Amino acid sequence: MKRVLIAGIGNVLLGDDGVGPCVVRQLDSTYSFDEGVELEDLGTPALDFIDHIAGLDALIVVDSVDNGKTPGTITLYRKQDLLKTASSVRMDTHSPAIAESLLAADVFFGMPPREVLLVGITAESYAAGCNLSESVRAAIDSAVQHVLSELARLDILHKKKEASPSNVWWSAVPHPQPA
Amino acid sequence: MAKRITIDPITRIEGHLRVDVEVDNNAVSNAWASCTMWRGIEKILRGRDPRDAWLFTQRFCGVCTTVHAMASVRAVEDALKLEVPPNAQYIRNLILIAHALHDHIVHFYQLSALDWVDVLQIPKADPAAASKLAETLSPWTRNSRNELKAAQDKVKAVASSGQLGIFANGYWGHPAMKLSPEVNLLAFSHYLQALEYQRKALQAVGILGAKTPHIQTLTVGGVTNAIDLDSQAALGMDRLEMIRTLLADVIQFVQQVYFVDVCAVAAMYPDWFKIGGGVRNYLAVPDLPLDSKGSAYDLPGGYIMNGNIAGTRPFKTAADKEFRDSVSEDVTHAYYHGGKPLHPWKGETEPEFTGWNGEQKYSWVKAPRFNGQPMQVGPLAQVLVGYAQGHALTRKYADLAMGKVGAIAGIQVTPDMLHSTLGRHAARAIRAAMLAELAQKHWQLLVDNIAKGDFAVHNQPVFTEHEVEGVGTHEAPRGTLSHWVVVNNGKIKNYQAVVPSTWNASPRDSAGASGPYEASLMRTPIADAEKPLEVLRTIHSFDPCMACACHTFDPEGKRIAEVKVL
Repeated sequence: MKRVLIAGIGNVLLGDDGVGPCVVRQLDSTYSFDEGVELEDLGTPALDFIDHIAGLDALIVVDSVDNGKTPGTITLYRKQDLLKTASSVRMDTHSPAIAESLLAADVFFGMPPREVLLVGITAESYAAGCNLSESVRAAIDSAVQHVLSELARLDILHKKKEASPSNVWWSAVPHPQPA
Repeated sequence: MAKRITIDPITRIEGHLRVDVEVDNNAVSNAWASCTMWRGIEKILRGRDPRDAWLFTQRFCGVCTTVHAMASVRAVEDALKLEVPPNAQYIRNLILIAHALHDHIVHFYQLSALDWVDVLQIPKADPAAASKLAETLSPWTRNSRNELKAAQDKVKAVASSGQLGIFANGYWGHPAMKLSPEVNLLAFSHYLQALEYQRKALQAVGILGAKTPHIQTLTVGGVTNAIDLDSQAALGMDRLEMIRTLLADVIQFVQQVYFVDVCAVAAMYPDWFKIGGGVRNYLAVPDLPLDSKGSAYDLPGGYIMNGNIAGTRPFKTAADKEFRDSVSEDVTHAYYHGGKPLHPWKGETEPEFTGWNGEQKYSWVKAPRFNGQPMQVGPLAQVLVGYAQGHALTRKYADLAMGKVGAIAGIQVTPDMLHSTLGRHAARAIRAAMLAELAQKHWQLLVDNIAKGDFAVHNQPVFTEHEVEGVGTHEAPRGTLSHWVVVNNGKIKNYQAVVPSTWNASPRDSAGASGPYEASLMRTPIADAEKPLEVLRTIHSFDPCMACACHTFDPEGKRIAEVKVL
């Protein structure tokens, strides 16, 4: 049995930053997977990300990216691409730490995830709010397909579920207008 | 001629702490702390059901999820005058303690230890000598020569692979580094072990909270953990025993490793008891309630003005009237529209960005004030107000720490020396040791209360048409957190969170008074303006948290930290 984590990363209160958790929740409500596949909305983890990824056969991260491309563009990154960004001066415990966690799982514990894919969706806006921009929302289905293709490449099966109620609780009700 | 240094990590789009200091004659002569991103997340809560607020507030931050959840349910309970059953208090307390232990361990080892520990020295260490030294400091069983040798080999492997960036601090070989190779090795070995023990603390949070991050078991009026001693699905003896075992390991690590390491490192940098004091007004709220009403607490609160420890004023409750009435936020130097300081219930969050200008507006952080004064919050505040009140548990570990540092360094350490960079580290270790002891106590309180046949975990909230106001406080790992809610006709009318790092990272106010970060940096000696390690030491001692914000991945590998020397 392969251990695989599909992790949605991002702050669901900050506009398009919530796209990672949205994609993972859509996957979770639409498909069932082989045993050993976990889906998690991890929010905005710092170094505790290490504990989620150590020892995995494969890690698939879905996150918004700031790469200057047209909003909604999907770009795939592998482990080497992510490691380029390890930081040099850390000011706070809260800074995101995807690259550092990958390194730590490797050199400290000797248990890096064997395969790593980041499905990056170029964001349009990080303004406070629980809804995605149109451009980013339109990319969700494609992001889902990229995750499924990666699973297929890893020989992991998925099945479509019968019922698929939305579990994106933070945008289930329209964002109320300020009084 | 003063030089200006800007430390501005640009990991992600924005949302970070930026520090600007002027250096004159090798010492800081002026300082500004600013946050580079507007959040305004509180606005999302307006119009929503107050019972749902905690689900949103725990998304404020990826690391402090539980603390914002807890303050939120407490705010609504305060507005409704709703009591919480004892089981729910103990379960919440255990979650808060376990989270705080995780947080303090990670802060010391993964964030700040490498400000004092020079990784480049480690390959030169003699593991046998380091093991011998460790025996004189602590009964910890994982200080063997073999364990230390393994840690040393990891550093050598990292160094030879050119991946030292993993340590993500990185002023190696700086003249302000003073530890021997053996002490550096010992501390680094504990850096690795800390990763294991912080995980155990999080696992305890996960058992009580149903998952982590983002616990699921809170509710306004209590918790949703079903208690059934014989069930494996509910909170029964199986799970309670797992929690006890996990916490026992963490407690041992805190008391035999973290506490000891902080004392030993402090003893080797005694000058830093004289650096980094700054704002000597301190604020802490009582926490870890012992009954449903919240009339007694295991962590005392209160406030101290102008470093007058003897004149400490205690708070009787977590929502003390004086606290409620005395908090305001000033936006004179923050990028918000507005005039005079506002109480959080009347708080506004209308952005007015004007660009960085140290004389005018320069931060997205508002300036919280208590009776109009800047206040330092965090473990140091909590330890000092407890010490001044003669709180037995605080005295026990504070005296132990001061005695240990004094014995190693051969100096007399007094409470007044805690107004410093090292004082903040020492206080966090003292607080962790206290929480370790309290973890066992609250576990026992929960088990004993269940054994009496009390399975209640929840009281039903009732809303009326009237407008009500509430404040929920929590003495979080970084200090006093308060959520302020106004509820009208069962809906949220206003919501403001005054978080610990806004107290500490606050910009100047209308009177020109600096916040704690800014004040603490004044007169700090700087050996090398290109590598301002000393600034990081003091800022890190506060355990800053500015990046509770966006998490967008920046795949282009931009320069992550910018140290500009102008």
